[in-house]
Amino acid sequence: MTTTLEAEVLNFLSEPDPARFEELAVALFNYQRRENPVYAKYCEFLGTPDTLDSWQSIPAVPQIAFKRSAIRSFPASLTTTEFRTSGTTGEGHGKHFFPSLRLYEAAVQKGWDYFQLPRNRFVMFMQHPDEAPFSSLSSMGGILTGSDRSRFVICNNGEVEIDRFMALLGECPNPLTLFGTALAFLHLIELFPDLRIQLPEGSIAMETGGFKGSGRETSKRCLYGQISRQFGIGIDSIWNEYGMTELSSQFYSRNIGRSHHGPPWTRFLIVDPETNRVAAPGETGLIRMIDLGNLWSVIGIQTQDLAVEQPDGGFLLLGRDPAAVPRGCSRAMDELLQFARS
Amino acid sequence: MDLETRIAAIATAAEQFPWLGDLSAPGIARWIGLELGQSLSSTQPLPYGKQNYLVRPLDPILHIVSSNTPHAALQSLIRGIVVGSTNWIKLPKEGLVEVNAFADALPTELRPELARTLPPAWIDEAEAVVIFGSDETVREISLRILPSQRFIVHGHKISLGLIRSECSPDLANRIADDLFVFDQLGCLSPQVLYVAGDSIEFAWRLAQHFEQTRPARIAAAPQHEIAGTLRAFHEEWKFRAATEPGVCFWESPGALAWAVVHDPSPARAPNPLYGTIFIKPIPADLRSAFLRVRRHIATVGVDPLDSESVEIAVRIGAQRVCAIGQMQNPSVTWHHDGQPTLANFVRYVDIEGPAEDWIAPRKTQAPEDSTAQ
Repeated sequence: MTTTLEAEVLNFLSEPDPARFEELAVALFNYQRRENPVYAKYCEFLGTPDTLDSWQSIPAVPQIAFKRSAIRSFPASLTTTEFRTSGTTGEGHGKHFFPSLRLYEAAVQKGWDYFQLPRNRFVMFMQHPDEAPFSSLSSMGGILTGSDRSRFVICNNGEVEIDRFMALLGECPNPLTLFGTALAFLHLIELFPDLRIQLPEGSIAMETGGFKGSGRETSKRCLYGQISRQFGIGIDSIWNEYGMTELSSQFYSRNIGRSHHGPPWTRFLIVDPETNRVAAPGETGLIRMIDLGNLWSVIGIQTQDLAVEQPDGGFLLLGRDPAAVPRGCSRAMDELLQFARS
Repeated sequence: MDLETRIAAIATAAEQFPWLGDLSAPGIARWIGLELGQSLSSTQPLPYGKQNYLVRPLDPILHIVSSNTPHAALQSLIRGIVVGSTNWIKLPKEGLVEVNAFADALPTELRPELARTLPPAWIDEAEAVVIFGSDETVREISLRILPSQRFIVHGHKISLGLIRSECSPDLANRIADDLFVFDQLGCLSPQVLYVAGDSIEFAWRLAQHFEQTRPARIAAAPQHEIAGTLRAFHEEWKFRAATEPGVCFWESPGALAWAVVHDPSPARAPNPLYGTIFIKPIPADLRSAFLRVRRHIATVGVDPLDSESVEIAVRIGAQRVCAIGQMQNPSVTWHHDGQPTLANFVRYVDIEGPAEDWIAPRKTQAPEDSTAQ
């Protein structure tokens, strides 16, 4: 197991130097190909050359690889943490293993700060990491709050602890950051449709995960409108976090219809699904991620999410709607692959 | 309009649609004769056991059709016209141009009413409702069906192949015929071929054949969502081919036109269709392997078409057995989903007692008819 590379990536996260990204990405690829037998087989199958000179050539494993195999670039015996996908398709969980969360924690914290997201008091619409030890989202919440249990308002059965939530809102006049899944926000809104709160100036809401796989932009607009009305914050103060269990870093967008951007230790490509090559500018394609934070698994992940690269350097997430795929009368023997973050 | 005229009208309209099969006037007459005997053409009740009977169409018939293939929609409509019903067709929201074209080719009085959104009255008033669609759609519509209405469901099905021969170019061509028509969305296209002998060799030869013959897409390039699903599937199986013993994967170079997957596991795997075929070894325990899907099996294509293949196909639950290459070409007389096609659209009226008691003398009818005029 390497600590040198980990130190190098940690340094990069602290002082990102775009000129060094390529070199570091290729070094991580070389390390992972050497230390991760599953990835080595995959690279061999694809005919990947022994040496790469560009991060864009790094083979990306499909997300589902985390369900099929142990994608681990360190000895299994050193595993300390395991994040799991929700496993809603009956195929079991995708698992992301770590020997240490140093890099993961740094990616969460540095990423949050990179986007100048406010360090307000948090109200987390998610379970505390002690109650959801396999949830990467809860872990992220724990990292951002210092694992302050009082900030988490989703109890074990998934219900919102409304009394505690209201108490947190009324605690003091400082701004708040409400952070949770879109579904948790929706649940709260449906439970208390008449709720009207004026959050202090500077408060934000951060929703995640809700519309991945739905492609319901109008629903997102509706949700943001409801959050805005019920919590007294502008639409411009509502953010989306785009992350997944298989990644260590997060991408963020603000408001509706705006690009997602990642921190400097990430890159993305939009891949034409028909040819599996980089899509022409402005064309819709699948997002392929490179995340230096993924030292302990693989840095290249091929997602199933559709997006369009934007002139501002980000991507506009279109989502993916499995229901839109006409299957005909030919019975789909199982649901097609869907990925959800636990 | 009498039966003979209806048959002639269907035959004329069907001339533009050769893929519907033999819908010549003699062919239709033969089909009616096979399924309903003389009952549809007879003006008098026919003897049946101790009683007599006649048949009358269920009228009107509502056909709720899906977007995957026009074939099934037109078959259902033609059945309705044959028995003499009024036909209403709820089209998919994107429409089905072939149904419109067929309707336009019919005489006005036989044309179905078409709608892309379902008028509520249609469900209430239909004597029979035929539905092609997903389990969810069927469930939703079924809640609105009364016990007094006949409800004919053509839900999602799977078709498969059973092959006990080598992958010759001829067989590969026939597999392609079954696989690529309607982008594989029809329920009669195979999703998986169970192969005796060296199934990896078979899969490799099939992929080689596809690569050399480069079968073109029937339809336009798939939408982004579909292409995304297909790409995800391709990448998953490439990964599995790299990391799991016995799994092999071949794809059309630089495109999503086709994929051949060799999967040694008897477990079912999702198939995104659009030219995607699984090759698996024939399971040792056929009964167990197909137990959970036997109710969903439509057609089993076999090669060779011999007694052993037919016996296996019937045993695993086939509703139709045919030669590979003919899977998407059922005869007009086929029992769709294992059911009679015309008899489902009529009601049988039994008339008991001596015929002389209830057959109205023709002479007494004539003056009444004259009076009425």
